[in-house]
Amino acid sequence: MSPQLTLQTPLQLPPAEIPLYLEQLWSQSQLGNTGANTFCLLIWQPALIEQELIRTGKLAGPIIGNQRKELIEAARHTVLENDLPHCTHPLDKTVLSSLSSSKGIHNSEDLRGQYVDVAISALNPRRLITFAPTISNSHPLETLVAAYCPLNEEGNKNSACGDVVVLRGDQKSLLKGFGILTKLLPKELPSWLWWNSNLDDAPESLNHLAIKERRLIIDTALGQPINCLELLITRIHSGQAVNDLNWLRLRSWRETLAMVFDPPHRRQALQNVIRLDIDFEGDHPVQALLLAAWISNRLNWNLEASNKKEGNTIQAKFKRPDGVFVEVILIPLPVGNPSIHPGQIVGMRLICKSNKSSHKPMCVILASESGECMRLEAGGMASMELLEEVVPNQQNSVEMDVARLLSSSRGTTSPLLAASAPIAAKILDCEMPS
Amino acid sequence: MSNPTTNPLRVGLRQERVISPQCLVIFGASGDLTHRKLIPALFQLFKQRRLPSEFAVIGCARRKWDDNEFRQKMENALSKDSKEDQNLLKDFLKLLFYQSVDLQDPEGVINLATRLEELDRIKATHSNKTFYLSISPSFYGPACNALREAGLLSDIKRSRLVIEKPFGRDYSSAQILNQLVQSCCQESQVFRIDHYLGKETVQNILVMRFANAIFEPIWNRNYISSIQITAAETVGVEERAGYYESSGALRDMVQNHLTQMLAITTMEPPGHFDPEAIRNEKAKVLQAARLADEIKPWNCCIRGQYSKGGTQNQPLLGYQEEPGVNPDSTTETYVATKLFIDNWRWQGVPFYLRTGKRLAKRLSEVVLTFREAPVHLFDAAGGSPTSNQLILRIQPNEGADFRFEVKSPGSGMRSRPVEMEFSYEESFGEPSDEGYVRLLADAMLGDPTLFTRSDEVEAAWRLYTPILELIEDSPWQLPLYPYESRTWGPAEADALLAKDELLWRRP
Repeated sequence: MSPQLTLQTPLQLPPAEIPLYLEQLWSQSQLGNTGANTFCLLIWQPALIEQELIRTGKLAGPIIGNQRKELIEAARHTVLENDLPHCTHPLDKTVLSSLSSSKGIHNSEDLRGQYVDVAISALNPRRLITFAPTISNSHPLETLVAAYCPLNEEGNKNSACGDVVVLRGDQKSLLKGFGILTKLLPKELPSWLWWNSNLDDAPESLNHLAIKERRLIIDTALGQPINCLELLITRIHSGQAVNDLNWLRLRSWRETLAMVFDPPHRRQALQNVIRLDIDFEGDHPVQALLLAAWISNRLNWNLEASNKKEGNTIQAKFKRPDGVFVEVILIPLPVGNPSIHPGQIVGMRLICKSNKSSHKPMCVILASESGECMRLEAGGMASMELLEEVVPNQQNSVEMDVARLLSSSRGTTSPLLAASAPIAAKILDCEMPS
Repeated sequence: MSNPTTNPLRVGLRQERVISPQCLVIFGASGDLTHRKLIPALFQLFKQRRLPSEFAVIGCARRKWDDNEFRQKMENALSKDSKEDQNLLKDFLKLLFYQSVDLQDPEGVINLATRLEELDRIKATHSNKTFYLSISPSFYGPACNALREAGLLSDIKRSRLVIEKPFGRDYSSAQILNQLVQSCCQESQVFRIDHYLGKETVQNILVMRFANAIFEPIWNRNYISSIQITAAETVGVEERAGYYESSGALRDMVQNHLTQMLAITTMEPPGHFDPEAIRNEKAKVLQAARLADEIKPWNCCIRGQYSKGGTQNQPLLGYQEEPGVNPDSTTETYVATKLFIDNWRWQGVPFYLRTGKRLAKRLSEVVLTFREAPVHLFDAAGGSPTSNQLILRIQPNEGADFRFEVKSPGSGMRSRPVEMEFSYEESFGEPSDEGYVRLLADAMLGDPTLFTRSDEVEAAWRLYTPILELIEDSPWQLPLYPYESRTWGPAEADALLAKDELLWRRP
């Protein structure tokens, strides 16, 4: 499904006039409609790679900010063209740096905030406020506003109208625009901030926008792993509701592993795990760390030691409740055509063995649809009960992931994520909040 | 973790839809259903963290209780099963409130509206309200009118009405009730409960049929020779004599639960998984269903009533001896009936429905019997080859069996039947939620998929109208056959199938 444009051409107004304009727009006398009674979504949407690809003529405009197929293809093409390693993630910072140093003066219309992904518009957001920083450092603040009614392709009559507000400008001028937010966010509705960007970017803006009362959506697959985990645990620790898209994508792995142990006769084996291997794409270990942390938390293991070995392999030692040690190894694998999300898990192996039990040792291998699990299958599996499952690839766009999250979240941090994040950070030896 | 009966990796994984902030108003809060089913179901949702923090339950009844008294009663009801959850229970009880309301007194409903406004402010429930009518059916009309007059149903998007069974006593009373309800609110606001639809295994019929490519091509008259739907209970009338005397097995079980199972088993595939698409298909198939002999219903319907039984040590009373039952009662406790569905998919396939109290076993199941192989190449170890059967076990021992012929080991080529079994217990290991947990959540989510629409209810009543009219006008034509308690019903029910050279499945 293609994204939808606002029905109304956005009106450019001075920032100070926007709250009053919207108030009038929704007053009973104007439309007889007070708008959707749902939620407000703030989106920090720099779309830096898209802007650079368009500036350098590698992608046709307009700038829309969504993770469309053409954008990913153009970014992958840039990786090859600029002799970057084939395993470079298409939206990686190195792609951005190589584009920034390329020449180009192509201009295009900037329609960020005006294209709403169908998956998100189907949830009838009351107000979408998009912050659209420009790559130019001298772009004054522009503010646009438009009423918005989702056009439902399936004729669902339940859609309700909302509005979009766009704040566009360079980073400095955007900071000035944050002042109008308090007047734009109805107190009775929950508001979400989706940081649709690398977590290393624009820390000042992040701090301004991600106040504790707002539900935060981040992607810990984007940014320095240590920064990502530190930000995640700091925010969770402060009591903010944090939703991580990287954690959301882990769901099919958690579900498949849980499924393996649903039959009651296999559950005893969970108490006898002696080894866990996780292979992940590229060099971003956060998803793998979160998976290892979740398993260890659910099985009550204690982290005893961890270290980083050659080639960015992470090794950790946990102690089970019965005192037996569990070896955990997270191995980064370079892949030729990396997923659109960095650090996706490629495969995992769990070995359960008990000296006391007469049961055969059990080896569970999960592999992603596109992954190879030969490495995990090697090494003495013949004497074990082997259980293998294939985990579907998570290739949804971020917009789809956000829509899934908005439609299923309770607006609080998942207790499982809250319990797993500190363990993941500890394995990576992050600084923990006191 | 020390208890391997739960899967530690499964905890917190279920991705449930989020119930929006709201106030649930239960009319009939002092009644049996509230403390036996509704409040435990809400507590279950609370434990699963599926209730929003902006949530309140207002119990309403005529009794002059206050919030604390209501909470105390509900705590007593819940404490029996939730000793380990005392802290959770305390938190849950804080969500409960009570308002004394006499539905025939307009002032009482106005007071309720004021209380709702007050709780809406305190609990930030966004004016979302779900009204649950757990009251005597004779009060459905007054309750709807009172709610309409107080303006509590006027917001189509923010107010919903849940109505318990029975929805009417026959086709015409169901029509009148539908008209009355629809004069008070929109059909989209109405959620008519049939708790069988809340059962995981009933919903699984849809998934089995429409998520697997192997079943649907053979799910028709070309491959299926007959279908049996059974809901058997071992218990008698228990404390429900007052209701049951005026209802009987046909109204209590067949018109709703068995007919809903029939609809789900026989409906066409919907274009997409959408409440209206599913309900359209269910309504269509029920409209195409008819009694096997509408002119002479006694040819396709057997009524029975349980008599004494049991053992010397544990004798069981007959229905007419039960407390609260008229000693000359002619209420049926058993019904077996034969139906046809006049559409392309099912033309000519007989459907046999049976239900009864005090039968030999407690079970609900749907049994699809397939046509025999056109040529018998092999001798059957049992004399003749058995037809393939797919048995969908609704309760207990939830799951499915497929019966087919295999080569009997040995030097010859003889066939014998075997069963391939899927068991919820073995595959998932954890009990499913009670039907009310699912249905209450769905009603509060505004998802009507598992609720019956007005046209479905009417079609279901119309289907049995010839029998109901006969019972009313000339009951001697549809005699009541006695059957011994803890047997499989009257012999006449066996004869109903014997005419078609079939047997009831005896599980």
